[in-house]
Amino acid sequence: MKKAKKLAAVLLTAALAMGTLAGGGMVSSAEELNELWTFETSNRELENLIILNTEMANDLNVLCNTTEGLLETDSKGQLIPGIASEWGTEDGGLTWTFKLREGVKWVDWQGNEKGDVTAQDWITALEWVMNAKKNGANNTSMPTTLIAGAGDYYNYTKDLSDEEAYALDKTKFLEMVGIEAPDDYTLIYHCVSNAPYFDTVATSACLYPMAQGFIDEVGVENVLSTGIEGLWYNGPYTLTEFVQGNTKTLTKNPLYWDTEAKLFDNVVIRIIEDTTRGYELYDAGELDHTDLSEATLRQIYDDEGHKYHDQLVEKMPRKYSYQMKFNYSKMKDDGTPDDNWNKAVANENFRKSIYYGLNLVPYLARTNFINPLHCENNAYTMKGLLYFSDGTEYTARVAEKLGLPESDGENPRRYDPDLAAECKAKAMEELEAQGVTFPIQIDYYIIAGAQNALDSATVLKQIFEEGLGSDYVTLNIDTYVSSQTQEVIDPQLQSFVINGWGADYGDIQNYLGQETLGEDTAYYSMNYTNINDATDETLLATWQEYTDMVNAANAIVDDLDARYDAYADAEAYMLEHAMTIPMSLEVAWQLTKVNDYTRSNAMYGIQNYMYKNWDTSVDAYTTEQYAEFAEEYNK
Amino acid sequence: MIKYTIKRLAQSLVTVAIVATIVFLLMRMLPTDYFFTEDQLMKLTPEQKTEQLEAAGLLDPMGEQLLRFYGQTIRLDFGQSRRIQSGVPVIRVIGDKFGISLRLGCIALIISLIVGVVLGIIQTLNKDHILDHVGTAYTIFVNAVPSLVSYSLVLVFGSKVLGLPPIYSTRNPGPSSIIPIACLTLASIASYALWTRRYMVDELNKDYIKLARIKGMSSKTIMVKHVFKNAFVPLVQYIPASFLYTISGSLLAERFFSVPGMGPLLTDAITRYDTNVVQTLSIIYASLGIIGVFLGDVLMMLVDPRIKLAGKGGTR
Repeated sequence: MKKAKKLAAVLLTAALAMGTLAGGGMVSSAEELNELWTFETSNRELENLIILNTEMANDLNVLCNTTEGLLETDSKGQLIPGIASEWGTEDGGLTWTFKLREGVKWVDWQGNEKGDVTAQDWITALEWVMNAKKNGANNTSMPTTLIAGAGDYYNYTKDLSDEEAYALDKTKFLEMVGIEAPDDYTLIYHCVSNAPYFDTVATSACLYPMAQGFIDEVGVENVLSTGIEGLWYNGPYTLTEFVQGNTKTLTKNPLYWDTEAKLFDNVVIRIIEDTTRGYELYDAGELDHTDLSEATLRQIYDDEGHKYHDQLVEKMPRKYSYQMKFNYSKMKDDGTPDDNWNKAVANENFRKSIYYGLNLVPYLARTNFINPLHCENNAYTMKGLLYFSDGTEYTARVAEKLGLPESDGENPRRYDPDLAAECKAKAMEELEAQGVTFPIQIDYYIIAGAQNALDSATVLKQIFEEGLGSDYVTLNIDTYVSSQTQEVIDPQLQSFVINGWGADYGDIQNYLGQETLGEDTAYYSMNYTNINDATDETLLATWQEYTDMVNAANAIVDDLDARYDAYADAEAYMLEHAMTIPMSLEVAWQLTKVNDYTRSNAMYGIQNYMYKNWDTSVDAYTTEQYAEFAEEYNK
Repeated sequence: MIKYTIKRLAQSLVTVAIVATIVFLLMRMLPTDYFFTEDQLMKLTPEQKTEQLEAAGLLDPMGEQLLRFYGQTIRLDFGQSRRIQSGVPVIRVIGDKFGISLRLGCIALIISLIVGVVLGIIQTLNKDHILDHVGTAYTIFVNAVPSLVSYSLVLVFGSKVLGLPPIYSTRNPGPSSIIPIACLTLASIASYALWTRRYMVDELNKDYIKLARIKGMSSKTIMVKHVFKNAFVPLVQYIPASFLYTISGSLLAERFFSVPGMGPLLTDAITRYDTNVVQTLSIIYASLGIIGVFLGDVLMMLVDPRIKLAGKGGTR
């Protein structure tokens, strides 16, 4: 078993954490916050209290504090023990064993003990998730794909009446599904096929526990409508106040298993209209951190005498990698194929001219005008998702394979106007021979009435025309009224969309698998790029080559470094052929009393808002302090 | 009166049923994609989407859905919220918010009524003088300036100068209600002042007032016994409805100050395709409107006995 490797990782992480704590003493304030006052905007209010029943970030950001799963993620995004103290696989990811720690308790909202947390709670929970009538198909996709028999059990329950499905105990479930608990503190999952990344799924809501005692107490039919007073909690906090549209209060769980953890006495989450109100509340001392609108940020940044000027700090990137995704089977408004565009985008030199010819700095400055290149994205996979065993970050390996030059601090690394001009000349020659007319019309859709989106689109239009020439392309800014999916994507009207993907689990497959050819599970191919409808043979051959490379990487299950390296080859191939174009990362600015570099920071899972082991200061951190944190973190 | 009440009640029930049916059908006419979040649209397979729609009963024949809706409504079973507070009975969702909107709204209404009417009287008594001009300027300002701007001005003054909490807090509901209530009263005060002044000036120009003056009646008596009393009749009609509408809250003010009331609930429910909440709120709001008008009629009749609701040609 690879438990030794895991144990070593755990010890190393602990040692690093201790070192960081010791080293961080130079810049940490002596006095930390006992109570954290934070916020969400009104469109991100908590909607669902049952963690197994929701897949929405606004719910999970709260609920990851009230229910705890098998594993946690640390500030570097590495898996660390949670309720499972050890875990591993001996057969390349086909069978996974988790050893649970004893003495973990379920409590009620006031912290009174309700029962022990045992392996049976994960069996109860998975039965709940995969029971179509109990959980309404929420959170089923990953278990269906990964756990043997899970999909079959779902289909079995789907055909039962509500009463029959509610009455099911776990007998049938355990017969059909690959999960077992040989004793109260050992949990075993059997996967459909080798899944060397399965442990990362343990940080997703679908593999969180639920106590049978809780279900029995409230009744099966009342589980989803249970209020905060009726829930059972095993996480670091209980939810002691929930006033929809105004306030949620998380209160430290007195029986939480990790007695060494640094927790707040209370975390108060306030609902605000927008970030402007957040700044007002921060200024009034009613929040401990705030995001900043562009106007507020400019106001503070441009005024060196402003009281917050020296407290402006850059946030860490959000976990979404934004890409420009071409539509390879575009339609016109009248429903007929847009042959001019479809021929153009099938031409590799045309795509490469865009890949090399766009100087995206003004576009990146829309997100971060102070350090636009901090938003630069040169990979398809999100930076920081995975690391090789020698510590090399995965997207750095991709950049190496692409041969990207080091940043000059002014221009994007892949920006190469000479190469773009060369590709443009070739593309024009090749496309003219196919009857394509210039300038090629590029249709880019934004939501109507959104000034911010319009400003960004206008900047992008300028970048296209300055970088590629108005004789070559024209970017048309079109609008949809309310639903991009229904009004633009379904009728295939867009030339491209810019879309961000955040990982569901910790494997590159979750990114690259969305772009493969001829596979139903490839979300972007099926919905956005429409590559399966393309007819150009050269284009399809390129895509097939990429798909084969991804599948070859998928097949490597016993050597993670080799697996990641094979994915890096596939990703580099994708980008070299400009099949999709990396656009940006989200790196914004804030005022804060929280050291973000101590927060859980996984590119997958649900735990980034787990208020555990956060370093804070009663005085706002300064720009200088944050620079030191960043330097220490990135060592 | 009883006959009139029964007739109005029957009409009201039909009206509410029609409103509920229209809202029900409109919600069902929306594309089912609205049932899902953008994230779900992205990641769920078509089969999974279909399963969720089936589980919610949204793929049943429309007639079957409508009959089920009628049956549930008659039993006062409004179902559960799907998105606002997933799985929680709609009545509980609304009940939690109802009291807050009612409390803030009623306080604001009482203040508005008193201040607005007094301001209107003062303007009338000082017609074309400085106080009248000040009142008129206030009315014009409040109506001309977008609400969010005037709210922001109140907010800045209240929080920076008076040190009041800038948004509503459940931990500190009294002081944190002051700024939202002040904002809620801004427009109402202007409205009551405007109409009080207008109706009183109208009355002052009538012949019977001139006659009263000629007969030597004092200005004070004229104002109290005749002008104000008659001018107040048209205003009275709207007071019950105004009280009842406080329950529905203020979308703008409650959103702006994070008041957990009824104000933003309907729009939130529509944008999140929370059909049960939308339908229940529609029924409640339609009922409130109808009851408000009815009570307004009754109150007007009580204030001015000359008005008959059920007499020949007298029904409204």
